[in-house]
Amino acid sequence: MRRLRKNLVVIAGLLTLAYMLLPNVVVMLFSFNRPAGRFNYSWREFSTDAWRDPCGVADLCGSLALSLQIAAWATLGATALGTMIAFALARYRFRARGAINSLIFLPMAMPEVVMAASLLTLFLNMGVQLGFWTILIAHIMFCLSFVVTAVKARVMSMDPRLEEAARDLYAGPVQTFLRVTLPIAAPGIAAGALLAFALSFDDFIITNFNAGSTVTFPMFVWGSAQRGTPVQINVIGTAMFVIAVLVVVAGQVAAGRRKRTDVS
Amino acid sequence: MTDSTHTGGDVRLSGISKSYGSFTAVHPLDLTVPQGSFFALLGASGCGKTTTLRMIAGLEEPTTGTVFLGDRDVTDLPPYKRPVNTVFQSYALFPHLNIYENIAFGLRRRGITSVKKQVGEMLDLVQLGDKASHKPHQLSGGQQQRVAVARALINHPQVLLLDEPLGALDLKLRRRMQLELKRIQTEVGITFVHVTHDQEEAMTMADTVAVMNGGRVEQLGAPADLYENPRTTFVANFLGTSNLIEAEVVEAASDVVVTAGGGTLRLPANRCSAPTTTGGRLLVGVRPEKITLAHADDAGAIAGGRNRVTGRIVDTSFIGVSTQYVVDSPAGAALQVYEQNIERDSRLAPGAEVVLHWNPAHTFGLDAAQSVLAGTVGDAGLDEAEDAA
Repeated sequence: MRRLRKNLVVIAGLLTLAYMLLPNVVVMLFSFNRPAGRFNYSWREFSTDAWRDPCGVADLCGSLALSLQIAAWATLGATALGTMIAFALARYRFRARGAINSLIFLPMAMPEVVMAASLLTLFLNMGVQLGFWTILIAHIMFCLSFVVTAVKARVMSMDPRLEEAARDLYAGPVQTFLRVTLPIAAPGIAAGALLAFALSFDDFIITNFNAGSTVTFPMFVWGSAQRGTPVQINVIGTAMFVIAVLVVVAGQVAAGRRKRTDVS
Repeated sequence: MTDSTHTGGDVRLSGISKSYGSFTAVHPLDLTVPQGSFFALLGASGCGKTTTLRMIAGLEEPTTGTVFLGDRDVTDLPPYKRPVNTVFQSYALFPHLNIYENIAFGLRRRGITSVKKQVGEMLDLVQLGDKASHKPHQLSGGQQQRVAVARALINHPQVLLLDEPLGALDLKLRRRMQLELKRIQTEVGITFVHVTHDQEEAMTMADTVAVMNGGRVEQLGAPADLYENPRTTFVANFLGTSNLIEAEVVEAASDVVVTAGGGTLRLPANRCSAPTTTGGRLLVGVRPEKITLAHADDAGAIAGGRNRVTGRIVDTSFIGVSTQYVVDSPAGAALQVYEQNIERDSRLAPGAEVVLHWNPAHTFGLDAAQSVLAGTVGDAGLDEAEDAA
């Protein structure tokens, strides 16, 4: 009883963690399933068939490649634009700065389905062909707010004297930006970019409205869920999860090593 | 470095001023800082001292005037092209670089690749050799301050600018760093321009102090000279404490004779910074430690030829080496007297009738048109001084 009380916080923490991770465990587990019918919803027997042939389902890997491609370009576009907006908002005083500051939040607060519908109206009225480019434009648009918010917080907390010190120490404008401003803002930019990638990769609602006949991975999963869920979807899901965990662990190890060499 | 071998390393400011809209931070100012000297700009916050420093650094563009380094006009040069380096108030160490790279920053930006020896020497100079691979946040305030000094000095600037470099340190550490900075300056022989609001700091460290108030230099000179011969009430009050007595001139010869509160005081004419005419007003000043306090019963024993003021003790405070007395007299209220605690006279307690006496040569005369309170701790005094300016 006493031991239980002593470890209450740890137990509560582990339970919460389990709550968060259980869906992922299920996805992982069912990627090794050999379902009886077309739906992968009940466990039958262990198999690695799907893992050996992840592209075995028609159009799956094509949609995955497209989603990764869009996510990569959307991340690049939103991060570049968002970083510039964040610096402008944090550093300069100009007309309508306050208004822009609040407008930036609007896409985050607006219901996605509303934005999706209005975007579609806009594209149709302009006579734009729906497809890769409309998806990309939409994704950059809704990722922008998140990047701006992440980078701005970082830039605001940065001491302007650091850049003055750099200029005082013979660094010209370009060197000051590359050697001091950018490295210090980097964690904010990286956080914004990661958010943008994740948001773009799994966006369904806006993409579904503005994709035309193009099919991204989330749309493929949704579409196939109506007719039957191939095990390969679980394989892709598991792979994405494992990659994300590996990236985080690698980051932690690198940070830990840096800290150790600092102290030595 | 070749930068330091330019002919003549004087810093010369000529008619330099800075305005922000309708607010003038620095009024047109001429100032020469001789090469190799330790120069302090002293004043309360908002007096324009930091703006002046930033104009020398190139971080602030002067509204009018010229900045010379030696014979070279650097007014239009950006900060990264000036052979001048700054130690910032909050140190502004680069948080993403370790101490070694922080110190090497200036050398690397000028394309010098073999920095190891010089960085090593700098780390030794500031006694931080074992901290080279630490990040700034792992260091204490005093250590960070030394890194900031090393990072600037490694470039062998013609002038090192220090913007309240000790402001963030506690009192004991500040005293130690004052001596440390003075040692470094003597060792490297570079011109130091030091901005501070701490009059004790300015006096301990600097060869020359410029006292600034309301965007102007009130007085410039060696610390002892400023202290002994203040020429304005602001300087008299801001540097240490002064007793200022309003008086009327009765005789203006080589010795000026004045009356105040019914008594007569004398002072040498060459210690009056204001013109003296018979019948005119004069502020007579004397430092609290120059005054000797005698009980009224012993008044007869006071040597002749000394200035005397009678009064009554209203307060005493014992502070170890000395005792501070506050004395009300017909000549002025709340006169301050500091007495060394050598032989304490037990009769000198609140309520006692006393005679204050001092050598007339320690008296100074100021223009009576100024505020008596200028430069005192209360804000009212400083505001009045600014209004007058």
